Amino acid sequence: MSTPISASLSLEEGTAHLTELLRRSARESDFPSPLQELWSAQAAQAHLQQLFTELRHKEDWKYTPTDFFRFPWTLGSVELLAQSPFESALAPAEIVEPSEALPALRNFPTPASPWEALLIGASLRAHYRIARQGCVSWNFAGKGGLTTQLLTVSLEPHAEGEVWLVPQGEGFMIVRVHLHLSTGAQARVYVPTYLKAPNTYLYILLSAEQEAESRLEGYDLTAAVPWKRLEVKVRLSGKGAVAHLLGAARVGRGESMDYAIRVEHAAPHAESNQLFKSLVYPEGRSAFQGRIYVHRQAQKTNAYQSHKALLWDRKAVAYSRPQLEIFADDVRCTHGVTTGFMEGEILTYLRTRGIPEAQARQLLAQAFLEEVLGRVPHEGLQEVARGWLAV
Amino acid sequence: MLSIRDLHVEVEGRPILKGLTLEVRPGEVHALMGPNGAGKSTLAAVLAGREGYEVTRGEILFEGKNLLELSPEERSYAGLFLAFQYPVEIPGVSMVQFLRAALNAHRAAAGLDPIETTDLMRLLREKAALLKLDPSFLSRSVNEGFSGGERKKAEIFQMAVLSPKLAILDETDSGLDIDALRIVSDAVNALRSPERAFLLITHYYRILQHVKPDFVHILAGGRIVRSGGPELALELEAKGYEQLVGA
Repeated sequence: MSTPISASLSLEEGTAHLTELLRRSARESDFPSPLQELWSAQAAQAHLQQLFTELRHKEDWKYTPTDFFRFPWTLGSVELLAQSPFESALAPAEIVEPSEALPALRNFPTPASPWEALLIGASLRAHYRIARQGCVSWNFAGKGGLTTQLLTVSLEPHAEGEVWLVPQGEGFMIVRVHLHLSTGAQARVYVPTYLKAPNTYLYILLSAEQEAESRLEGYDLTAAVPWKRLEVKVRLSGKGAVAHLLGAARVGRGESMDYAIRVEHAAPHAESNQLFKSLVYPEGRSAFQGRIYVHRQAQKTNAYQSHKALLWDRKAVAYSRPQLEIFADDVRCTHGVTTGFMEGEILTYLRTRGIPEAQARQLLAQAFLEEVLGRVPHEGLQEVARGWLAV
Repeated sequence: MLSIRDLHVEVEGRPILKGLTLEVRPGEVHALMGPNGAGKSTLAAVLAGREGYEVTRGEILFEGKNLLELSPEERSYAGLFLAFQYPVEIPGVSMVQFLRAALNAHRAAAGLDPIETTDLMRLLREKAALLKLDPSFLSRSVNEGFSGGERKKAEIFQMAVLSPKLAILDETDSGLDIDALRIVSDAVNALRSPERAFLLITHYYRILQHVKPDFVHILAGGRIVRSGGPELALELEAKGYEQLVGA
């Protein structure tokens, strides 16, 4: 990691410090009781040892560098920017008061860990309701320090929405997003990331609940960031729901990029697809953990998962961990992982045709990420991301 | 054009070529034949500049320049082309992108501006027709999902586009059916010219029935043990390597 890490705190002390900060930021909560009580109770339990042990022993944090937790963070500030770098064809979505009438709040997933519970009260919060069409432009800029954000988006039946999570600035930014897609609703979530500031850590936890015939598309395009973890938890709870999650990451020198994806099939005839690609530079570190969970009742499930890592050379690191858990007997599920080095025969082949090595690598890198980029339905983003991802 | 003198090459410390000498002049077609393990592909690899081959003795001059001092791309700019025995797949890179990059690198080396797209497409379509390749082939990823025959045709197609001075065909005829062999041979014949030379590396006589060589060499034990005209290939076909060269 290129970022200087203060060694003034032990990891235990650092985690305790972090816990306290999160707890302080979580004092206020938008959540209706009894959820609030549940979370408060969980948050209260989230003392040092628990949080520390939890992360250490949680399988899906196994490959994630967490040393920066010990940095003596202070609570920072984060602001929302009015101007979005990306244009949407949809009008701005409506911000509403938190209430149990909002499906995204009513069905907010019970936090799986105290860690998550600590994230629900946040320094920046907003609840959106999309009745027919609307775009959530969440352009946030960290001003340093630790900041937390909470965002919920409730899409009503057959509504169409876009959600843009566009990080800027610096600091340790934790963003918790929950989407509820009612019957027949459609949502596209874009997470373009290009953060050059050294002390920048971005943790996005995105969950979605999908009712029947709803459709979710997620596009993560990560071109630069010292540390990022994107955790996605999608639950297909209605018949015929569809979720397509795609990601392309260019993991530069000293950077760490983490995908932890879980798609849960809880209803029959649903479809999910995960396609993630990581291009890893020397001293870069990528992790992918993808899980498909098919409940007993989720017959006729179609689920796919693929992670491909292309490593610049032997100094690049990639972990891939595909997982399938299937309890239904009439399903189609596939997963595949490939990890390869950019070297040897293929580079020689290009060079014998006159293409110099640097350019050959660039050609291979672009082609590698293009499989995801080419499927991004927003042309402006495609173009910007191509520029970002160009070697 | 190409002058190889007393070439000794080792692979992982094992001597493969042991004093190979060969002279190729512009306009000539040389066939290099030999049994398995004779060192034919090693010669092709050394000429193209692939890694893992150590030249321990001898020299290779190409157009008067020391070939061994040139990088693979510089050899390409100098006019050398190798049609690979096993062409690699380049996922996600279309033939158009690939050859645009290659041609522009050649042009940049010659101090020329990048090629115009219309000129590029005209050139590619013309050469694809020479190999009887469907135009859709240009937008497919290089060699990805190609059959063995398509890959070999794609190599000759690239050769036609890059228009080298010396083309080395490393067992391009292997794995081709009769029709594909005919198409590849016709394309090679169409590209023969007084300025261009070919080195055909092959196991079989049959390609030489279509592409008539000026010289035939037999490589055995890391050296050229016999050279002659086209009749040598016929003699080899009749007698076999063992009887002819004791290999």
